[in-house]
Amino acid sequence: MSEGGPERQSPDGIGTARAPSRRALLRLGAVAGTVVLTVRPGIAQAATSVLSCQIPVPDPARAGMAVAPDGSTVPAGTEGAFAGGRVFSGEQVREGLRGGNLPGTGYEESQAYLNYVRRLNYGRSGFTCYASLMVPR
Amino acid sequence: MADAIYRAEPPEALVRMGLGAIDALYHRRSGATHLVAAPVPQILEALAEGPADAAGLRQRLSARFELADDEAEALAALRDRLTELEALGLVRREPGAAR
Repeated sequence: MSEGGPERQSPDGIGTARAPSRRALLRLGAVAGTVVLTVRPGIAQAATSVLSCQIPVPDPARAGMAVAPDGSTVPAGTEGAFAGGRVFSGEQVREGLRGGNLPGTGYEESQAYLNYVRRLNYGRSGFTCYASLMVPR
Repeated sequence: MADAIYRAEPPEALVRMGLGAIDALYHRRSGATHLVAAPVPQILEALAEGPADAAGLRQRLSARFELADDEAEALAALRDRLTELEALGLVRREPGAAR
């Protein structure tokens, strides 16, 4: 790369003629994709809003359901289950996952909601927020 | 049909890190990181000299490299690569140029 001039001549005087063949071979029509991988910022960006993103418990599709201690959603009024209709911020859930209680809840209620959050999967409201909590920083 | 003319992203738009046979390109504007192999870094370098169409780019590349493809193949491949790079936002089509 840092060779300044055009084809340098070797001391024995035969360098010039052979110089072109030393050029690197470049194949433009690569058979496989030339871009090996693209890492898009989606979830990394979501992590920046972790303080403010929200996780509804349960998600709107299950509004009116209660949350059992294991985090599953059950019909309202089920014995041992906790009423839903709560919304927690990403930061509150993160504190909860570290061992704290969610605001306004006792230990068991808090654990039920956190179990619900742990069971969230892709497509459920709050999942992206939960996933962004899991991104290491 | 005249070829489209492409312009490379300005140098400050990309952070480039060589990783041996692969380069990592961090594109500030999109926030995406692309891991690219030859001939992508070479095409971007050649295009950084100034806007060019596929034929102009082939000339620049053939001045530096031994091209493995014949002229027609090289031009077709370059058009494909430029289309891919445009989709990634790493090159732009000059406005007003042919489609």
